[in-house]
Amino acid sequence: MSASRIVAVARRIAQGFRRDERTLGLVFVVPIAITLLLGWVIRDSEAGDVRIAVVAGEVSPVADALRTAAEDADLAFEVTIDDVPDEAEARDRVRGGEAEVAIIVAGLRGGPITVVTEGTDPSGDAARIGALQALMVRAITSLLPPELGIAVPEFEHETVYLGADADSMDVLAPVFLGYFAYFFVFILTGISFLRERVGGTLERLLATPVTRGEIVLGYGIGFGIFATLQVLLLIGFTLLAIEIPAFGPIPAFTIGLGVTSVGSPVLLFLLAFLLALGAVNLGIFLSTFARTELQVIQFIPVVIVPQGLLGGIFWPVDQLPDILQPVAQVLPVTYAVEGLREVMLRGADLSSASLQLDLAVLAGIALFFVALASRTIKREVA
Amino acid sequence: MTVTGPPAVEAIGLRKSFGAIHAVDGIDLALEPGRIYGLLGPNGSGKTTLIRLLAGLARATAGEARILSTQMPSRPMLARIGYMPQAEALYPDLSVGENLGFFAALQGTRGRDAIGRVLELVELADRRGSPTHELSGGMRRRLSLACTLVHEPLVLFLDEPTVGVDPALRVQFWAHFRRLAVAGATILVASHVMDEADRCDDLIFVRSGTVIARGTSAELRAGAGTPDLEAAFLHYAGLDAEGRPLETAP
Repeated sequence: MSASRIVAVARRIAQGFRRDERTLGLVFVVPIAITLLLGWVIRDSEAGDVRIAVVAGEVSPVADALRTAAEDADLAFEVTIDDVPDEAEARDRVRGGEAEVAIIVAGLRGGPITVVTEGTDPSGDAARIGALQALMVRAITSLLPPELGIAVPEFEHETVYLGADADSMDVLAPVFLGYFAYFFVFILTGISFLRERVGGTLERLLATPVTRGEIVLGYGIGFGIFATLQVLLLIGFTLLAIEIPAFGPIPAFTIGLGVTSVGSPVLLFLLAFLLALGAVNLGIFLSTFARTELQVIQFIPVVIVPQGLLGGIFWPVDQLPDILQPVAQVLPVTYAVEGLREVMLRGADLSSASLQLDLAVLAGIALFFVALASRTIKREVA
Repeated sequence: MTVTGPPAVEAIGLRKSFGAIHAVDGIDLALEPGRIYGLLGPNGSGKTTLIRLLAGLARATAGEARILSTQMPSRPMLARIGYMPQAEALYPDLSVGENLGFFAALQGTRGRDAIGRVLELVELADRRGSPTHELSGGMRRRLSLACTLVHEPLVLFLDEPTVGVDPALRVQFWAHFRRLAVAGATILVASHVMDEADRCDDLIFVRSGTVIARGTSAELRAGAGTPDLEAAFLHYAGLDAEGRPLETAP
């Protein structure tokens, strides 16, 4: 092993990046822009108004009680309630888009309450129906004679980690750190190494005394430096919230997402770096199976997307179907996501057995791909 | 020809097979220092495979390749060899100086002197800072040659070095090769362009992975009874004037 040759390979990669503004933008600007956009969408999207058509018939006070309950409750959306004479009219309103929900109350004593929605927005429907159920309980309780002494208890929500007011962004931000590093580093290394193979520079490289190990290590360091800068930038952007006061016509705004993290940024970095190192060498390895840059891009739905679906980013791994769970257990992103959440959300440190496992598996996967990548550099002399 | 020492490049029964195809089919060679050898043959005749075997980039199926008495493949010996591949094999995003600096560093050659000297040699000294993708085709070819020469190798393998090079530059290239040979380098130039052959000290005609004739240009033409080297090649290859196999040997 010659340190100067490893440095030469790493420096060559950095020199190539320096003149490639577009790739620099892809590495440093795009992840921030996407994270910013996601944070904006998740935090500032407004729940639409909910118009409810109530058919209460002989128990018409229900609509009024519901209206009162809605006014008293602190809901995420505006509720307007219309009394309608019959079921057909209520259904027509939902079908025609004049109401989001129709509530058909057959009777207060044992009859079913039918809730009709338009049906093309299942997650929105679920949120609305959940809120309406609570409203309905309040409304009906308010109709009961007060001498019965029945009152609806208030829920008070507390959490062990994060605050009760944490949003999806707080939970998604940690994994975005890892996933971006993985995605960009994989694509860049894959294409860069394919160019080495196709352009003949690998052949020229192998006609020098450089070893395969030196090439792979040099690549790891060269791309590792950029992955490191990318991750540091993203960690900073995710954790910080710098308030910029209003100035002239520009309103006040915040730089950074201000996601609460209770763990060590050093551990976050270590996790993301190990993940990226694995991605560099996976890129080198898979470039063997591509003849053109388009064919490297074709690995995205094969390598990157399944890890996004199965790696625990959106759905917890232990809730996946039984057959898919073992698949998730061999994906590097699974361990990175778990580790990043452990550190960021639960404040895990190196004494945590779960974090130790995540780090060990990521290091193991990185080493495995280092070995595999150097095997694919075909050469007769080691 | 007087032999003053061990040959710089040797092939002994060298063979390389890819399945049923014998790309190099039992070649024996001994190349002396200070001479330019022309490896001539049509596309697909095994020239590149032979060079890759000699340069230690491929392992022989049978036989042996030796450079400066060391059996190839040998990693330390790669620092004494200069290999110019057929492909451009440069990094387009790097500057001229950065490309050269990179290959110099891999060869263990340090300092700006070596880079400056070789840039003077290929007349690119004023383009040192230019990005490689902005160079003309001929300039890139010159840079490719500079990358091959930057560590002052004793043995040079040049695979089609003048492909896509204009006639004026071609003359300059051959003048460089001659200067290097005079300084003691052993140079093997693969080409399918017969009009370059007269610039070589010795010619090796290859076809279907075997050497079909060897000698100086004059010897080979005299042996075939023709003043034209291309006709001589066809003669040794057992082909008629239109490249069709002869029915029977004359």
